[in-house]
Amino acid sequence: MGKHDDDPAWSDITPLPTSEGGPNPLAAIAYTEEYEDTMSYLRAVMASNGFSPRVLDLTEDLIDMNPAHYTVWLYRAQCLFALNSDLHVELERLNETALAHQKNYQIWHHRNLIVDKLDKCEGEQGFVQRMFVKDAKNYHVWCYRQWLVKRFGLWEKGELDFTEEMLREDIRNNSAWNHWWFVVNGREAEGVAGVTDPDSRAREINFTKDAIAKAPQNQSPWNYLRGIARKSGISLAHLKSFAEQHASLDRPGAVKSSFALDLLADILGKRRVATSKLVGRMICWR
Amino acid sequence: MTLAFFTISALDLLSSLVPNTTPEERAAYIDWIYSCQIPSGGFRASPSHDLSAVKDGSAQWDPANVPATYFALATLLILGDDLNRVRRKETLKWLRCMQRDDGSFGETLVNGKIEGGMDTRFGYCATCVRYILRGKREGRDPTSEEQDIDVDALVECLRKAETYDGGMSEMPFHEAHAGFTYCAIAALHFIDRFPWPICSQPSEGQRAFNKMPLRKEDIVSTTSSEQQGGRKTCGLTSPNLTIHWLASRLTATISIEDEEDTYADETDTPETCHDAHSFVHTANFPTSMGETSEKSRPSSHFALDWVGFNGRCNKVADTCYAFWVGAGLTLMNASRVVHPTPVRRYLLEQTAHIVGGFGKLPGDPPDVYHSYLGLAALSLLETAAQAAHESPREGLRKPMEERELKALDACMCVSIEAKSRLYAIWQRWGVHDGKDRDGGG
Repeated sequence: MGKHDDDPAWSDITPLPTSEGGPNPLAAIAYTEEYEDTMSYLRAVMASNGFSPRVLDLTEDLIDMNPAHYTVWLYRAQCLFALNSDLHVELERLNETALAHQKNYQIWHHRNLIVDKLDKCEGEQGFVQRMFVKDAKNYHVWCYRQWLVKRFGLWEKGELDFTEEMLREDIRNNSAWNHWWFVVNGREAEGVAGVTDPDSRAREINFTKDAIAKAPQNQSPWNYLRGIARKSGISLAHLKSFAEQHASLDRPGAVKSSFALDLLADILGKRRVATSKLVGRMICWR
Repeated sequence: MTLAFFTISALDLLSSLVPNTTPEERAAYIDWIYSCQIPSGGFRASPSHDLSAVKDGSAQWDPANVPATYFALATLLILGDDLNRVRRKETLKWLRCMQRDDGSFGETLVNGKIEGGMDTRFGYCATCVRYILRGKREGRDPTSEEQDIDVDALVECLRKAETYDGGMSEMPFHEAHAGFTYCAIAALHFIDRFPWPICSQPSEGQRAFNKMPLRKEDIVSTTSSEQQGGRKTCGLTSPNLTIHWLASRLTATISIEDEEDTYADETDTPETCHDAHSFVHTANFPTSMGETSEKSRPSSHFALDWVGFNGRCNKVADTCYAFWVGAGLTLMNASRVVHPTPVRRYLLEQTAHIVGGFGKLPGDPPDVYHSYLGLAALSLLETAAQAAHESPREGLRKPMEERELKALDACMCVSIEAKSRLYAIWQRWGVHDGKDRDGGG
């Protein structure tokens, strides 16, 4: 007997047990009794599309036991909206679940629905920052951050400062580099030019070169630099002298970055110049 | 359904499925999969979602699921089923309902709304289902009389998710990710919008690399032009840059400790940056910590004995990316840019677990997902090693007792043997694909 079977509040519901699909199921999952019991009541409610506060409790219990069940999340969202529930309370609850389950995907989709409905993003940036303390490269959280910026127009509300701070903490955080690109270039559809604008481009190139000077063997800013060149249609050849600062072909032992060497290979390869010196360096590197 | 696929397909790759199961058991597995089929098309993710016993309007909470449908069809092929009981017409009709106006695919349809993220995983699964049920040919399918998905919109959607560094993401401006990159490349193969041929015409990719903005005609697929008599948009604006991005996923950062060392330390020594090899000589140091670690570095050359793949730039290697990246490179006809031995050693000596299977990181307990993708990656590496005329065991410090794995189809992620059963089934259905030139779907 599950805990709901004896509960008078649920006496009107006939549970709908799950099945693993016949006598020879593939990949049958051994759920706990409590999970099976709770699920059988939710299934009975779902079968009649019922929304009530007690259903919210059921979904909460199930999410605690299995936060990756997308149907339960979807049902919970519909239930919250149908009951006009206080969504701020829901956000508070979500904070705990998100901090406990860093890699969960469904929770961010759910949060997205709730915050969209609330039409307000107060406290959201702060919460995102809390998530980054635990994992500064969490993919779902960065995606959510982009959504917040777009949905609530936060482009010029400290977003570059925040990203710069993230890069100051870890210059190798490619998620932060990507976010930087998004903040600079993400509004072209609205007519705000990114690196295609010469002033913006000059600023970006300097920023990236400074970052490379700090840590030359860091793929992220090198990719960023190439990205600027590609996006704004300038030839990689303009970066030749800069690349040579980090991978000198004349001074053996002065190669500080394989990515500089890589860039030089692309620049010189395009010129079809016989580059025996470069090949020599590549062999040393290998 | 996901677990079923990983388990059955792993046994198949190990040639252990038929010896370890009876024909009756396999027939029962097939019945189990069909019990998850939804009458209006597609498969549900698990029998535990089944609400078909309830008559009233509950079907919305028991929807067909796009990845589950791919896993179901692929598992049926592996089990040797003839797909006779698949509701082909209904599934193709349902598949179109799973595509959004922007070209992306969702996971399920609930209350008339397409749920699930926009990411390319669903586009991959959807195009694979389409491929299994009707081949690559575009337009209305003459055998099922079903309309096609909007192929152009899907290609456009995939192109928009290319990132500034040559990788692919799930949505515009999200970070490049090897899983999404693989899914996009494989989906383009399934819909025959891959920019062939890359390697036989290097100048094409080179042109694409040089020019921005890119003209569509630069990267148009010759296959499509011949077949369709017109020019079609192909995905991947810059194939060479995508190959470069995939190849750059190789990393010697293979444990969490490796990764933590780089945090808040900007010096490029092997102690703090595991992809900085001993050729890096720093003349001056931004921090005193860097100077200390520079002085303490060993004088011997750092050997790259174990090399893994990461999923994103500057992340730690992970077993599953040996598949996502390795298969991506294979599909781009570029697997030769990676030396297979250190990657095989990474899988067999670092993430393979003593109880069997593979974990995500060295020492992690094995799980079904990483175990399957670890095997799939090894199968591709075996193929690559053979192609490079290398003994698959070359370079292994401790020769490991391992079985030869069946060759993998990098696009469908099942054995080539299982995938090839499709041709007889197509013949029966009257599907004429006729130009499966890549042999890989």
